[in-house]
Amino acid sequence: MAMRKVAVVGAGMTRFVRRALETGKELSYEASKMALDYCDLTLDEVDCVVHGTAPDSFDGVHMKGEYLSDGSGAWRKPYTRCYVGGGTGVFAPIHGWYHVASGLFDICLVVCEEKMSSCQPHPQGAFLTIFDHTTERPLKPNLLWIFAMEMNRYMHTYGLKKEDIALVSVKNKRNAADHPCSLLGDANITLQDVLNSEVLAWPVQRLDVSPVTDGAVALVLAAEHVARRICDKPIWIEGVGWNLDTAYWTNRDLCYPRYVEKAARMAYEMAGITEPRKQIHIAEPYDPFDYKELHHLEGLMLFDRGKAPEATALGITQRNGDLPVCPSGGLLGVGNPIAAAGLMKVAELFWQLRGEAGARQVPGQPRRGVAQAWGDLMQVGTVAVLGV
Amino acid sequence: MAILNKPDKVHQAIAWHGDIPITNRYTAGVAGERFFREVKENGKFMGTRCPECDLIYVPATMFCERCFAELDEWVQVENQGQVVTYTILYWDLDDQPLAVPLVLALVQLDGSDGGLVHYLGETDPEDVYIGMEVEAVLKDPAEREGSILDIRHFRPIQV
Repeated sequence: MAMRKVAVVGAGMTRFVRRALETGKELSYEASKMALDYCDLTLDEVDCVVHGTAPDSFDGVHMKGEYLSDGSGAWRKPYTRCYVGGGTGVFAPIHGWYHVASGLFDICLVVCEEKMSSCQPHPQGAFLTIFDHTTERPLKPNLLWIFAMEMNRYMHTYGLKKEDIALVSVKNKRNAADHPCSLLGDANITLQDVLNSEVLAWPVQRLDVSPVTDGAVALVLAAEHVARRICDKPIWIEGVGWNLDTAYWTNRDLCYPRYVEKAARMAYEMAGITEPRKQIHIAEPYDPFDYKELHHLEGLMLFDRGKAPEATALGITQRNGDLPVCPSGGLLGVGNPIAAAGLMKVAELFWQLRGEAGARQVPGQPRRGVAQAWGDLMQVGTVAVLGV
Repeated sequence: MAILNKPDKVHQAIAWHGDIPITNRYTAGVAGERFFREVKENGKFMGTRCPECDLIYVPATMFCERCFAELDEWVQVENQGQVVTYTILYWDLDDQPLAVPLVLALVQLDGSDGGLVHYLGETDPEDVYIGMEVEAVLKDPAEREGSILDIRHFRPIQV
């Protein structure tokens, strides 16, 4: 395939908050403006815009892609919204990537936004509507049911305890204490705090899960000839992959995300990665729940099945460990404005690989990272590999 | 990195409540119609078999998602099966505590490659385990409406 090289040349991010005064348009604008300012581009120079945002019902605006278009800089430009549920945040830059890699456009602005606080009394009510209207919705389950059952299956299969999994939450909330945009950073949180938090849907407790959040993130993507001209250290999108598993519960392996593995294999092949455990220096897997970080690390083939908890306990995934995982603080620490949270992970790789992550900087001049998100009906994996 | 200025008193901002008034009328579909009629009228669970992939789908589906064959081979499966995984719910949809915790389980029905998500009843939540043998408890025939709620819940099989 004759595809052009594509780089990330700018990133911007709003603070992640429980309830923003800003409208979704304004959040999108804040992040977009910051990303353009970062690389000294004006809106005129942007050829096309890609927006990623999760269910309309969070913002309470039907067709919110159109509603958010002005804040995303789409006035009189080619504009599309892409959507794969929670996987959107990593899919949006993939969508942007093929706009540029194809040769159609040189500069693409990628924006992801979520204003979940609009949904009353709680976005769980909106989440319920994503389930099958005939076989599942009449049961009126709590949103957490599907995750709780997957987590239980994961624990059962590998003989894991809550303690083994809660360590992820501790690590990420501590990491987020160094993130200026974080909602939930806490340098002093302990394992006991997580284990003592209230049980929502066993085995999920309050501090195992990331909360409702408002926020936006934006990236600027550029074709190679532009990137080299306007950016001193472009961060290349080396590989992308995405994959969807069955929506039927019982036809899916709940203890192992095969769809993430398939997405990762696609991205690794494109990036020329043959030994991910050696060739990837930072991972930002999707962590809306603590067990999901572990699940996804295994799907990304960075650890053997069932072994990510042990690696976590050994400190391998700490910011100064052999494979730093979620040095940003992840969704558990920075917050979870669905699509924006996924794009935050790609933005984190951009800052980390450029050596601009400040107090969050991973030591040792990392040269390559992987970001991954997960969503739809809990069976989509989206993966991007970025490198210097 | 730039940072959004967080308003200190967002609760004082002008806000109002609105809704998007939409009501829907859903059908169960070609395969779903037959599946739920069998439950309603005969108290039986039926699946559809894909001979190519050797899979029995429950609830029945009109086509095989793996090979795209149209499925017309209907087979009866058991009203009982095994708990694949489960959760105990303590909070409702509005993030309010439930008076009585609910147990929700994924049950793989014997004789099928599929299963149903449903409540577990007639058991203490503490006694539930993965691999537990459970059976469906249906409403009385006169009460059934062709809904997933025609199954009251699953309960442990008394040995």
